[in-house]
Amino acid sequence: MNTNSNVYTVIYTAVIVVIVAALLAFVSSKLGPAQDANAKAETLRQMMAAARVKPTEDLYAAKNAEVLQLYADNIQEAYTIGLDGQKNGELSVSKDKIDLVSKLKPQHKAILAEGEVTLPVYVFKGNISVIPIYGAGLWGPVWGYIAIQPDCHTIAGAFFDHESETPGLGAKIKDEPWFREKFIGKTVEWGDTPAFRLEKNAEAGGATNAVDAITGATMTSKGLNEALNVWFKAYEKHFGTGALLHMLEEHAVETTPNAEEE
Amino acid sequence: MAQNLKETILNPILKGNPITVLVLGICSALAVTVQLKGALVMALSVIVVTGVSSLICSLLRNTIPNRVRIIVQLVVVAMMVILVDQILKAGEGTYAIDKQLSVYIGLIITNCIVMGRIEAFALGNKPIPSLLDGLANGVGYGLILVIVAFFRELLGSGTLFGLQVLPSGYIPNNLVILPPFALILLGCIIWVHRAIDKDLQEN
Repeated sequence: MNTNSNVYTVIYTAVIVVIVAALLAFVSSKLGPAQDANAKAETLRQMMAAARVKPTEDLYAAKNAEVLQLYADNIQEAYTIGLDGQKNGELSVSKDKIDLVSKLKPQHKAILAEGEVTLPVYVFKGNISVIPIYGAGLWGPVWGYIAIQPDCHTIAGAFFDHESETPGLGAKIKDEPWFREKFIGKTVEWGDTPAFRLEKNAEAGGATNAVDAITGATMTSKGLNEALNVWFKAYEKHFGTGALLHMLEEHAVETTPNAEEE
Repeated sequence: MAQNLKETILNPILKGNPITVLVLGICSALAVTVQLKGALVMALSVIVVTGVSSLICSLLRNTIPNRVRIIVQLVVVAMMVILVDQILKAGEGTYAIDKQLSVYIGLIITNCIVMGRIEAFALGNKPIPSLLDGLANGVGYGLILVIVAFFRELLGSGTLFGLQVLPSGYIPNNLVILPPFALILLGCIIWVHRAIDKDLQEN
């Protein structure tokens, strides 16, 4: 057979491409659920590391199923809010159907464009609220989770991750526990500009809403600083101007008459 | 024939090493060698991709139209790379490593070793020798990757496979972690290789 004729060449390439495409589509659909489960467990690990449900290394040593169980045991409720600080949706927290807003990039874009957002708030036991942050590092996206105490002001814990920051430099935001531990006990000054400072020598002034940037990772620190402040701004009306406190009070008013009836 | 097969397997690892002699696949050798674990997974992925791609292309070698052979090779290699990436992402134990290697698994497609061996060997040889040639080239590549990663993780983080090896007083060298040091280290490995193997030296 003449393998150099035009007809043969066109048919041959078409057949090869169709076979390969079919194979990849099949594999992708077979492995998709396992990949999604991995991604979801990873997000849960990072949130629980921020909320300090368990030490980070324990969370990373745990199997996916254990992570789901731990989350179901420790979560109180989860909901989404808009830029006005008001609730605009519920997220299911039951073990069989855990809802997450795990795609942060579109939310980040919507915040910057002041469009419609569904920003998640995950409330863990002890009324600790965990919120995500997302932004651009040096080589790729950086993101993280910040846990906020019931006073809506103090940071209870933090966890950061990145796609491709330089190992040993920018990657320290994830690899070095001392970095995330520095955020514990710091505050978010809602309404101030900036609400939080991750800058060179920021701690020296004695401010409670400041953490020193990482030496040798200027661009990663800058990106993370911007990510923190863009997202804190978006959550400002929820935590800062008392929308959450108001919600908690309403909750208290609702329950008081019942207590009297009893 | 047995002699030939032995040559097929040993040559890419020693005399014809894709990195130190052919100087192919340098970019990924710089990018993924900061930690041993990542380098090892990368090496295994490349071994699988070069081996199986060579095998498939060798099986198809008499049917591939000459004018589009590069495109056909590319399709086969791309398919293998996507498969490896998908499988790593799906495994519970390998998910974290895949995240760490990020784009570099996908970039195996652009690794000149894979296409180079298909073009130079698999299209002109039977399937079994082609498979062995592909695997051996992957091993030759992976060997250098692991050597580089060993020194970079040891000197750059004081650890091996994430475990602290050097005393805690050791201050990690930041230069070692950056890609330029991998290039310096590669140069040293090529130097040592050439010093040992006199056949590689030019007059």
